[in-house]
Formats: sequence, structure tokens, C-alpha cells
Amino acid sequence: MKGTWPAVVFFSLAAFGPVVVRDAFLLDGLILILLWGATAAAWNVAGGYAGQVSLGHAAFFGLGAYSAALLGTRWGLSPWIGLLVGAVLATAFGFVLGFLSNRLRGPYFVLATIAFSQVLLIVGSRWRGFTAGSEGIPVPFRPGFWTLGIADKRVWVVIVLALAVFLYLIELYLERSRRGYQLAAVREDEDAALSLGVPALRLKVAAIAASAALTAVSGALWAQYVGFVDPFYVFSVDLSIRFALAAILGGIGTPLGPFLGATLITTLETYLRASFGGIGAGLVGIYLIIYGAALVVMMRFAPQGLVPWIGERLRRRPVAGPAS
Amino acid sequence: MSLLSVSGITKRFGGITANRDISFDVEAGQLIGIIGPNGSGKSTLFEIISGFYRPDAGVVRLNGSALTGFSPDHVCRLGVARTFQKLRPFSGLTVVDNVMVGALTRTLDVRHARARARELLDRVGLAEKAGEYARTLSTGQRKRLELARALATEPRVLLLDEVTGGVDQRSIPGLVQLVRDLHRGGLTVLMVEHNMRVITAVAQRIVALYLGEKIADGPPDVVTRDRRVVEAYLGQAYVQ
Repeated sequence: MKGTWPAVVFFSLAAFGPVVVRDAFLLDGLILILLWGATAAAWNVAGGYAGQVSLGHAAFFGLGAYSAALLGTRWGLSPWIGLLVGAVLATAFGFVLGFLSNRLRGPYFVLATIAFSQVLLIVGSRWRGFTAGSEGIPVPFRPGFWTLGIADKRVWVVIVLALAVFLYLIELYLERSRRGYQLAAVREDEDAALSLGVPALRLKVAAIAASAALTAVSGALWAQYVGFVDPFYVFSVDLSIRFALAAILGGIGTPLGPFLGATLITTLETYLRASFGGIGAGLVGIYLIIYGAALVVMMRFAPQGLVPWIGERLRRRPVAGPAS
Repeated sequence: MSLLSVSGITKRFGGITANRDISFDVEAGQLIGIIGPNGSGKSTLFEIISGFYRPDAGVVRLNGSALTGFSPDHVCRLGVARTFQKLRPFSGLTVVDNVMVGALTRTLDVRHARARARELLDRVGLAEKAGEYARTLSTGQRKRLELARALATEPRVLLLDEVTGGVDQRSIPGLVQLVRDLHRGGLTVLMVEHNMRVITAVAQRIVALYLGEKIADGPPDVVTRDRRVVEAYLGQAYVQ
């Protein structure tokens, strides 16, 4: 298919990673890039394609993480079941948020999403009897694929790569299908879309619910990979912003954008933390300053994000005419 | 049975009655103009017919079955398409993609929708703009785009809101000709229009509104001479 070769290159490189690289630190980086990329792609379904910008997606990520962790520790259930339960819960909450989006537009929707994740944070950190509160939950390591107790990072690469490719295919669908065109119309002008027979509300709600479910799947896998769920991390606004940031930096509403954005911020963050994080007490925060400055520079020169920016550079001659 | 029938439509906004008991029928193949000074309730009526507003009383029927109560997207799928007075192109999409959105209401196949969109762009004279972003179009071209987009939904009745409004003088004749051609092709059209010369030139029948009420309904030459219509537009001094 046309226009997908950068994605083929990207995912092939990721697939070959474990063949060439044995270093645990690098493999860990690759896994996180793919996992954050997939989560940013899940965010992109609502924030990019449906135009419903959320800064509360950590809520869904946390639901997935907690479902996997709690079902495993309390009832000894497989994390795969936890993943499914998390996705179902997130879908339900996504529906509620989706209907809210009809009432609350623009900044008010964003505020509602933040509030929503904060409510879950309070539940997660205060309901000590069930969630172990702010202490968090160590996820037990039970070896085996069914229990997702996998020590070999190369297997993890395969698992998160499968998720990433799946998300990429969903974005591609949203780019080229009938529903994708209709969703683009809703994003551009909801009333005009309605006047042309597009069932705007149904599409928006479906996009937000799907986005929520996919984010929960990421959360469940993350919990299993990292082995510890902390409410102040999984429900944090920081995390929500990370998903949105990766998609925006890479190119909001583009299929490969979230993955490139996640690659950029994950490498930058890891590199800067490793190089500057340890220098004397006075410089402890310096990596964050450099990180922030780098983001500002990026937004100055590529405000549309990486994918459109690179696309423009590649198109030396202006190409008129559509991609058909 | 009339194709579109508006009966007893009343709509209030707080203390203001925007439409009071408005009724008229549109037969298949007619081109009917709705006129009236600012604030006479033309736009409100359009919003009601297209499903964006719910009337407080009355019902709109298409081929005998009620449209009132359905959402705008459903009304469109039932066969009533509209354009907007304040143009609303999907600016971030290309011209052909804009029209495709309309076509996709009638077909599940994206390629088929694209072919259909190109046909319609050809018909409204925008074929060479197909690949450009809608935001690059002039006002006159945007009007044509809205027309093509609405036509793509294969309407049985087309509602046109101020098709020549805000367009430079030179572009008006072309747009008027386009509407006339569509009508000759068998399309039923209901158009709101400010420009009297335009409406008397194309409409077979005119419905005049004033302060939310229907004050005249008939052939253009009769309605434009109607005492109440002249009074509404120009004031009592001009009534002979």
C-alpha cells in the first residue's frame, strides 16, 4: 500500500532490534518506545482522529494496569483476563466521557478528562482495603506466557510490537476508510458533518470508547512488564500529557506520528536523564530543563509535528492532486 | 401528496416567537423561494426543516412521513440536504474529500464515493480544485463546494441558505445559473434569498415571512407587489 513504507521501515527496525541487540538497557528502551508509541496511538484515535483532546487518558491506562494487577494478586487470575476486564471497564468509562463530549466542547472537555483521571487517582490511592492505597501493588511474577511472567526482554519486544502494529493498522483504517472520512468531517465541523448525514455523536462516542479500551490494554501490559503499579504514577496528569505530547510531537492525526513522537521523547528523556541526572545536587533537575527547551524548539520549527514536517521536506516539488 | 409539507410550525426563543404557525407545501420539482427582512424567521424555519432545531408546535413531512424529531444527520439520510448561510467547509480537508463525506452517506465504498465526488465537482465547476485544501477557495467557490457536498447526499429536497450572500457581483450569475440547471434537472429546491432580483428570476413561487409569520405565498410577480410585502421591506411610505 502507498505511503506506508516509513511504517514498514520503522516496525522492521523494531523487529530486528532483539536479533542484533542483547543489551538489556537498550532492549528496555525499545520496549518502552513501542509501548508508549502504542499508547500515544490509542490516544490519537480520540485526540487526533476524532478531535477530542483528552488530558485524562492516564485514567484508562491506570484502569488497565490496576485490573491486571488486582485480578492477579487478589484472585490469581491471568493478566490476560485482567487486560480484558480493564478494556471493558475503560470502554464503559469511555462511553460516559464520549457522551459528555457532546455537552462539553474544547477546553471544557479537556478539564472533564483531567477531573476524571483525578477521581480515579483518589479512588486508587485511598481505597486501601482493595487497592492497597498509595503503597501501590507489586505484581507477582509467575513464569509463563499465560501469566505473562516473562523474563526474556526479547519476548516482550515481540508482544509490544504486535500491539504497536495493531494500533498502527487501526490508525491506517481511520485514515482511509469511510468511517475515517466521516470522523475527519466531525473533527473539522460537527454541524456541517451532521448536515451531510454523518452520525456525529455515535462516531465520536465510538472513537473515544475505542481509544479508552486500547489505552487500557497498554496499561495492563505495562503493569505486567514493569511489575509495580503506583496510583500516583498510573493516574497522573504527567502520564496523560506524555501520551498527548508524543502524538502531538509526532504529528497529531497521522498514523505513524505517535510512534515517532514516542521514540523522540523516550530517547531524549532517557538519554538526558542518564547524562545529566547524576551530576551534583545542584544540577539534579537540569535534564528536565534541557528536555523542556528541546520540546520548545521542536514546536517552533515543526508545529504540525514530525510526520507532516518530514513529509514537506521530502516533497521538494509541490505535488498537486490527491493521493488516489 | 406534496413532497415536502410544512404545517403549523411554531418556534419560540424565550419571549420571542421566531416562527408562528407557518404552513406551506412544496411539490416535487418545484423551486420555491423564501423571502423576508432580517429577523423574519427564515433561518429558524430552515433549521427546523433540516432538524437542527425542534419546533414547539407543528410538523414537517417528507412524502407524508414526519421529519420533526429526527436528528439532522437522520433528516439528511431521509433525503433533505442543506447548505449554510455562514459557509462551513471542512477547511482542513481537500475539496474532493469534502464532497466525499457527502457521497459516503449513500455508498459504503470509498472509491465509488471519490468517483461520485469528482463528477459533482465537475458539475459545479470546481474540477480543477479537487486536490486543493478547502480553505484556499474563494467565497464563490466555497458556495459551489457546499452545493456539491449537499448534492452528494442525493437529496430529494435541497435547502439553499443565501446562495448568493456575501459573493462578489461577478460570481452571482454563474451561481444562479447553476441553481437553475439543478432545478431543470428535476431537483426540488427551497431557497432562502435576500437578493430580490435573484429570487424573482429563478423561483416559481415565493413564500414571504415577516416577524415570524407567513404574509404572502404565490408567484413572484404577485408576491413582490403584495401590499404587506412591500410594507415589510420598505415601510408604509412606499405602499401605493
